[in-house]
Amino acid sequence: MIQSFDPRMNRLGLPDAPVTAATKTALDQFGTYEVFHQKKDGAPYVYVGPVHAPEADVAFLFAKEQFSRRFACTGMWVVPTAAITVTDYVGDQESAYDFLPLLPKSVAPAPGNADDTAGEAAAYAAGEEDYDIFHLKKRGKAHQHVGKVRASSPAAALQVAKAVFGEQRPVVNVWTTRSADVLRSDEEDRDIWSTTPEKKYRDAISYKVQDRIEKFKAENK
Amino acid sequence: MDPKLDLLYRLADDQLILGHRNSEWNGLGPILEEDIAFSSMAQDKLGHSLQLYNLLHNLGEAEPDTVAFTRNAPQFHCCQLVELPIGEYDFSLTRHFLFDHAELLRFEALATSSYEPLAQVARKLRGELKYHALHANTWMKRLGTATEEAIERMQGALNFTLPYALGIFETTEAEPEIISSGLFIGEAELKSRWLESITKILAQTALDMPDLNLLTPVNGGRYGQHTEHLQPLLDEMAEVFRLDPTADW
Repeated sequence: MIQSFDPRMNRLGLPDAPVTAATKTALDQFGTYEVFHQKKDGAPYVYVGPVHAPEADVAFLFAKEQFSRRFACTGMWVVPTAAITVTDYVGDQESAYDFLPLLPKSVAPAPGNADDTAGEAAAYAAGEEDYDIFHLKKRGKAHQHVGKVRASSPAAALQVAKAVFGEQRPVVNVWTTRSADVLRSDEEDRDIWSTTPEKKYRDAISYKVQDRIEKFKAENK
Repeated sequence: MDPKLDLLYRLADDQLILGHRNSEWNGLGPILEEDIAFSSMAQDKLGHSLQLYNLLHNLGEAEPDTVAFTRNAPQFHCCQLVELPIGEYDFSLTRHFLFDHAELLRFEALATSSYEPLAQVARKLRGELKYHALHANTWMKRLGTATEEAIERMQGALNFTLPYALGIFETTEAEPEIISSGLFIGEAELKSRWLESITKILAQTALDMPDLNLLTPVNGGRYGQHTEHLQPLLDEMAEVFRLDPTADW
């Protein structure tokens, strides 16, 4: 049996030689979800990273502890990775919108009128849906939510987004997802983040280890 | 014992021991994300125990570290549920589900305790406990409706754990005064709220709720009677502290 300084390991009674693991099929693991958080009220949702999970509700459980364990936020969204449509990446001074493939006329969205309530209802009835749009302003930064558009497909959503948000630049990359695919934290559950700032014991820095090491060294010169 | 001390020791010891137990999954959890989530919640429980030991300290008891690390099993007031070894993940999740529902409802009630310092702590913990219950419910619903193996294991864990969970609500001689002074609603009322709360979740699964009237609660913990598992846990938990009780860390 494996003998360890960690008593928990000894209690597991693990055999010395690892049992030969059965070969797993490719991708034998949970799918991924992409996580966005809002740092404070009114701030845009920003991409923070992925989690593996079997379903969106479990992804949310994981995202909460992965990405707000140490830094508080006011809200969190999770989206199945597969539900996100991604444009090509372009140069740091360019706009990804300038490189969208041209859609055939039948699919291209008609120029909408924001105040057209009747038209809006008809559009939804005809199968259009809300899409969330995220921009990456600079490589190495994170995608940030810029708003919603209404469209009949992800490709059409990008075209509408170009009309609405296309003036912004640079836009190195754009993500879009059906709003229905986004699991959003409840406003009434925002207290689940309320005590995070007080949990200094979660930060290595609050133990002031380096100070103590230096003090020890100075005293033992 | 003074009713305040009696209540606080029970609450604090439950949090400390279950927090330590659940932390034993750290690094061994089923998948990375769950490992982090479960460890975080274990850490929350240790944080809760510290706040409650601080209340005890303000009432004249010893320092939190002294209280946590220098007592032996017979001086602990935790229920036996929290001291059981972590076992398989089905058991640990089921204990988490049964305990944390009681915990959430207990602190909800304590938010209006006549003892204001405790009421303040209870109000502060609300968000954390809400997440803990959400975590437990999500897994219970998911595994309780998953494969035949998952359902069978969760049912087995539920049947095994429930008698211990009933021990959460064991009362002490201080109970009448705890209720009459408005410190707390009392264990019987808590138990009935808890039963309603867990039944609601279990109804959304393929799991059967055993008839509680046929179960014998595992009591004794509130009076210092513990399983053989508590003393080794205390020895392990206090190992570093006992090397140098005055160390600053």
